[in-house]
Amino acid sequence: MAVTIKDLDVKEKIQWCPGCGNHALISSLKGAIAELNLPQHDTVIASGIGCSSKLPHYVNTYGFEGIHGRPLPVASAIKLANTKLTVIAVGGDGDGYGIGVQHFVHIMRRNYNLTYIVHDNQIYGLTTGQASPTSQLGMKTKTTPWGVIEEPFKPLAVAINGGATFVARGYAGDPVHLKELFKQAIQHQGFAFVDVFQPCVTFNKLNTYPWFQERVYKLEDHDVTDRWAALKKAYEDSETEYKKVPIGVFYKVDKPTYESQLPQIKKKTLVEQDIENIDITEAYKEFE
Amino acid sequence: MLFSIRIGAQAGAGVMVTGRMLAKCFTRGGYNVVGYPEYPSLVRGGHNVVQVTTGTNEIRSPPRRCEIVLALNRDAVFYHKDFVKKGGMIIYDKALDVSEFKVSKDIKMFAVPLEELIKKAGGTVRMKNTVALSCVLAMIEYPFDILAGVIEDEFRRKGDEIVKKNIAVAKEAYEYVKGTNGDVPYTMKPLSDKRKVLISGNEAIALGAVKGGMKFYSAYPMTPASSILHYLFANERKFNIVVKQTEDEIAAMNYTAGASFAGVRSMTGTSGGGFALMVEALGMAALAEAPIVAVLVQRIGPSTGMPTWTEQGDLRFALHASQGDFLRVILAPGDVEECFRLGFEAFNLAERYQLPVIIISDKFLGESVFSAERFDEKGLKVDRGKIVEKLPALEPNTRYKRYELAKDGVSPRVFPGTPNGMHVGTSYEHDETGFSTESFIMRTKQVDKRAAKIKGLLKDMPAPKLYGPKDADVTIMCWGSHKMPALDAVNILKMDGIKANVVHFSYLFPLDKDKVAKVLKGKKTVMVENNSTGQFTGMLKQYCDFKPDFLMLKYDGRQFFGRQIAEEVEKLVKSGFKGDKEIRIVEKEDLEYYNPQRHGL
Repeated sequence: MAVTIKDLDVKEKIQWCPGCGNHALISSLKGAIAELNLPQHDTVIASGIGCSSKLPHYVNTYGFEGIHGRPLPVASAIKLANTKLTVIAVGGDGDGYGIGVQHFVHIMRRNYNLTYIVHDNQIYGLTTGQASPTSQLGMKTKTTPWGVIEEPFKPLAVAINGGATFVARGYAGDPVHLKELFKQAIQHQGFAFVDVFQPCVTFNKLNTYPWFQERVYKLEDHDVTDRWAALKKAYEDSETEYKKVPIGVFYKVDKPTYESQLPQIKKKTLVEQDIENIDITEAYKEFE
Repeated sequence: MLFSIRIGAQAGAGVMVTGRMLAKCFTRGGYNVVGYPEYPSLVRGGHNVVQVTTGTNEIRSPPRRCEIVLALNRDAVFYHKDFVKKGGMIIYDKALDVSEFKVSKDIKMFAVPLEELIKKAGGTVRMKNTVALSCVLAMIEYPFDILAGVIEDEFRRKGDEIVKKNIAVAKEAYEYVKGTNGDVPYTMKPLSDKRKVLISGNEAIALGAVKGGMKFYSAYPMTPASSILHYLFANERKFNIVVKQTEDEIAAMNYTAGASFAGVRSMTGTSGGGFALMVEALGMAALAEAPIVAVLVQRIGPSTGMPTWTEQGDLRFALHASQGDFLRVILAPGDVEECFRLGFEAFNLAERYQLPVIIISDKFLGESVFSAERFDEKGLKVDRGKIVEKLPALEPNTRYKRYELAKDGVSPRVFPGTPNGMHVGTSYEHDETGFSTESFIMRTKQVDKRAAKIKGLLKDMPAPKLYGPKDADVTIMCWGSHKMPALDAVNILKMDGIKANVVHFSYLFPLDKDKVAKVLKGKKTVMVENNSTGQFTGMLKQYCDFKPDFLMLKYDGRQFFGRQIAEEVEKLVKSGFKGDKEIRIVEKEDLEYYNPQRHGL
């Protein structure tokens, strides 16, 4: 039976600000899940804490809303426990590039077959408007009243350097393009990372829809297997003083996934293994 | 008969392996053995020692003195000369100049030309420890074949050539010592050819967990918990489990909770500092009702403390870790048999009640090795609690009531992959489907639901266990690892004509007031705790309204010695229980392995 976008809805009302980029993002994600026909019960969305991280409540699949900055370790373990599931991790820029950045850096080295979507609005929303790791230089927020003086975090460059095998950026103002990115990311065999520009209409008065509309363009004639070309593109926004902000797939390579290298789960996933009457007789040998 | 050997060397010289080999030689002869390591938090420099104690007696903990010191460097003579019993011996490398140390005339000094022997047998300097080991065994006339077998097993993975050479140098040394008439008053013959198991507390917990169906273990290396990680990694393919070394302990606990949510039995392990990082996710697991097991192998705190030394100082931390009120279980194994059993049982409790279970151990139990029979598996049965595998179709756009307001507090779990079971596991307070809620009524109901589990749980928590005669002059109370020195103290007191028994707690929380009262009724009690504030004593007061008559504390980095407990208890008994209510142990003889230079070495 085909999964439809309607199946993925929940009765509860979505509680994001009107006009928030998250609305387009969630529609694109549901569209991707439906078009890929992923069974609801075989899909898990894990999140951290923040506006973005409320997403699992609004998509009728399995979900886990953990603690701030930690969707990746939870998602990783879900995948290792049951490799048959489609696992998607979501979070915000504060969640993933701030408090939880160590998990982001290390998950890329592991190449689990899962997707990580970051709702990047360049501000802390749920805590009402503090600077985030991706807030632009000079931007005034509650915690940078005289403007940001810290160099913004560059998620795409970090991901390309860090070993991610699929690196993309989307924009909530182009939901059709975003849906296609999500589809590619989910289908990618390995760690797929999608940073999504998603304007915060309440707290970010700099990076607004009109701001993006003027700057965003889609990557074309770009060799996604060329690491150096990808890096160059990843720096294009800041290098051009945000005159040009590319979106699309920056980098994609094939590498063996972490879990494919574990012979102990080749035949049966961990959840499928029988745990009654485990025989440990052999284990005594080394102790005797 | 009791016989104890200390092997001392510079840190990094491999005495931990040598000590374990010696201990194994004795377990293969059917003896009881305790192998106890002491080492500073250094990889090179500093001093390391393993004390191997064996004999025909029941032995559960290391004594403070020994019969033989095997000194592989000069420092070892300095450090241990005052701990050799009268008539004992220090065996040392002839190449070492130890003339400056004042050694009692009652102790025999025996120099062995280790390097010459190695050269003669065509070995290398790396085989020095093997040679030294062989000298000790020759001295006590223990059969060489047993050592040869242990060498073979230890070095097999390094190839036949290494095995052969090690056996050859060992033989050379064995014959040399035999020929010199070392004249030690101790001889040891194997008791039987029935091999015992030699295992550490950490390994026994790991093995119990594997037997209990643990399929996933995630951890970050931390002394003294790392040997759990090492053991499980070495055997992950044999046991068909996945072991993950994570970027930190925050990740480790989140992985453990994630794997649990996905439906597998999962565990993490660490020491106090790492547990501090896990605390937030521990609360998450509790609120999401994802059953997890965490092993907390205590060392000295606060903060980095004395990282390679033991203490029972994290009990209150385990009890209160993470914000908010929530139920948890704390188990404290008292020996390797209990490590195995509780390693198994922790998962049943975690899944039956869908909550975090903390197994609290310590460096002394975790890193020491003990002889045991193969563990008793009687009565061990996997119980996964309420899990549903088939569900009726859901109304469109609705979700499974994962957090249904069940009367006993336990709502049936369902795992991802199960049709019609969709829901959100969550760190937010939630309604029955897992959707976030801030309803006052639902909040109260969910808190009460989770708390209701205590009723069933208390029934499953056994009473503290009484060891020894029912009617004794005095009762030694203890928890966790201190079962072992406490039982040794009972034997020592017996020789001095004092009838003592032990009440030991391995189920620390939740506590059943009535069960505790029944066991302790009418007893003259001395509580022994390896910390500075009597943390468990406080818990007993709080939850059971019980106060031991006396409290004995030690917090210098080592566990209590059996004799130490016995001496203090004897004083109390002989004074008609008139002593101070609180006894703090301060060692008279100090040792400091971290900085040999400080002692002029």
